[in-house]
Amino acid sequence: MTTIAAFKEVCTGFMSLLTGMRITLGQFFKPIITVQYPRQTLKMPARFRGHIRLVLDPETGKSRCTACKLCERACPSTCIAVDGAKLEGQKTKSVTDYRLNFTNCSLCGACVEACPFDAIEFSKEYNVVAFTRDAFDKMDLVQLLAARREAWTQNRPPEAPPAQLAPTPAPPPAAAPSPAGQPQTPA
Amino acid sequence: MSAIVQNLLGPGWPWVRLLLYLAGIGAFVGANAAYLVLAERKIAGRIQRRPGPNEAGFGGWMQPFADVGKLFAKQMMIPPGTDRLLYCLAPLMVMAPPLICLTVIPYGENLVARNVDVGLLLVFSFGSINVMALMLAGWASRNKFAIISSARVVSQNVAYEIPMLLVVITLLMATGTLNLNEIVGQQGGWFWNWNFFRVWVNPLMPVTFVIFFICMLAETNRAPFDMAEAESELVAGAFTEYGGMGFGVFFMAEYANIVVGCSIATVLFFGGWQSPFVVLSGPVFGPLWFMVKLYALVFTVMWVRWTFPRTQFYNLLNLSWKILIPISLFTLLLTGAMMKLPLLLHHLF
Amino acid sequence: MSTLPLSEYVVLGIFGLIVATTVAGALIAVLSRRMIRGVAGLALCSLGLAGLYYFLNSPFLALMEVLIYIGAVCVTIVFGIMLSETDEPEAGEKPARERWWTALSALVSAAIFWGLCHLALHSAWPSAGVQATNGSVREIGVALLTTYSLPFELISLVLLVAILGALTLARGGRTKS
Repeated sequence: MTTIAAFKEVCTGFMSLLTGMRITLGQFFKPIITVQYPRQTLKMPARFRGHIRLVLDPETGKSRCTACKLCERACPSTCIAVDGAKLEGQKTKSVTDYRLNFTNCSLCGACVEACPFDAIEFSKEYNVVAFTRDAFDKMDLVQLLAARREAWTQNRPPEAPPAQLAPTPAPPPAAAPSPAGQPQTPA
Repeated sequence: MSAIVQNLLGPGWPWVRLLLYLAGIGAFVGANAAYLVLAERKIAGRIQRRPGPNEAGFGGWMQPFADVGKLFAKQMMIPPGTDRLLYCLAPLMVMAPPLICLTVIPYGENLVARNVDVGLLLVFSFGSINVMALMLAGWASRNKFAIISSARVVSQNVAYEIPMLLVVITLLMATGTLNLNEIVGQQGGWFWNWNFFRVWVNPLMPVTFVIFFICMLAETNRAPFDMAEAESELVAGAFTEYGGMGFGVFFMAEYANIVVGCSIATVLFFGGWQSPFVVLSGPVFGPLWFMVKLYALVFTVMWVRWTFPRTQFYNLLNLSWKILIPISLFTLLLTGAMMKLPLLLHHLF
Repeated sequence: MSTLPLSEYVVLGIFGLIVATTVAGALIAVLSRRMIRGVAGLALCSLGLAGLYYFLNSPFLALMEVLIYIGAVCVTIVFGIMLSETDEPEAGEKPARERWWTALSALVSAAIFWGLCHLALHSAWPSAGVQATNGSVREIGVALLTTYSLPFELISLVLLVAILGALTLARGGRTKS
């Protein structure tokens, strides 16, 4: 009796092995599903939280930030430092320096929630690389915005941008860090 | 000009033949080792729905050269406390047996380096040296992982040598010769003449092949029986202390052993260089058929590796002693009975 | 069929190599202090012996030598050593009784050596080149089951004794009697 049971066990065991092999062979002939990362990238989902960035107003091509410092106050990790100045011919202050200490940031989103002007948002950058630590603990969001604005001006139909809008005061403090020091993002 | 070539290849110059075969087998082993590693990684990738190595050269086809270049560039270290002589000899000892075994494998009707009368025995006797080499490598390394691995290799190989030889003896009773080329010759004609399908000799022939295949996996230390190189437990098993080309040679030997094992399986069970359908045979198609069968089996070896997880050690030994050996003994008896029963009946009636 | 130039010398050279392998293996087996090297020497010696059998026109016996003495016996011995040997052999002073045994075994082996030499030098050798059979597997099988069936069966008695011995040793350790 036990012999028969053992024999049955061997047979069923072997059949289960064959089933396993059939499944792997089936997978073998199916197409590849992995993303070849440096060559292909995934589009980040809408709720992905990268480091925060200043929103580029599509109307004006400038930041909406008025340097009200609500985000600075809302931040639980005190990793935001905003500086603003009142420019001539404008009713509100506008941001001149927006420093994010990304090394402390926990991506909680309190700043985004707190902003009354919807001036900051999460970026979709997930591979932020730099050669210096400064690029992370003194992340210069105004400069990052300026870089994006160039692309914006180039894509914008030529008749729209008035000449006045284009020159914005360069961030006065701290000589602009070298490009290598800035977070690099692949195109 | 053609006369010279004729002279070189003809029977008048056996040493040219010798040199040609030496070079041929060397190249065969080298190319196999290099590209089977790539094939293994590609197959592993496909089974896991990823492309495998695809960066080096034309979609990954230059990967072996990159690997070999890296291995050659690395320093071969001899760690303190090792048995220097044995440590250095072990890679040679592990590489030599498969090279010797390949000399008797008939790739085609006349394409065999040396048509030895006891070819099958030669393969098995030199195949058994492999264990010794792995064990010496493990011992000479003076490393606890390596020694544990060596101990595993031995008990595993001793356990699986028995059903392997029993199965081969079963087959030998049917063929009546140890000459590999003659064994192939007997399986001519349609594919049902292959030993695998010869159920009238022994109704358990397919089972015999399965046992042979399992034992081959165990003897070559392939997954799911890769106790010798259980990388999650033993770093790299017996080769833990080896670096550079020393490690590379062990790797090459593993694949060379797979090729030898699959060649033997092809010869014994699948008619070697015989065409499955009488047509398309001959000196050109023969080796081609051999290669097709050989690489189908090699693919199966890899396929098995990427399907099943590593077995536990006592399960491994249980499989051999409690299942494979009884079954192979039974097939042996059955074959003997089926061969002699007609004779007995003839005497009685 | 022409042969390799100087083929006789090549064959002679290979024969010399095989003899040298056998002797060197034997010497390593006896002289080395580390047991594992001794076994490696034994394996080498067996390989040389296999070569000698090959030269005696018996490839079957040569391969059996490799299969059994290297593939089975040496592997088993190494396995045993691995599980038991200490790292370095002790080079301490031997007790007096052991010296007596050494002297005795030296005497016995000298006697055996002398006897073999005497036999080799003084007995009549069969004329060289006589090949009893063609050494094929069939011949060996027939010979084992007809002419030499008694020794063949006696070997199984040796195996029986070995199994009994193994059982005794294993049980002795378990019951602590």
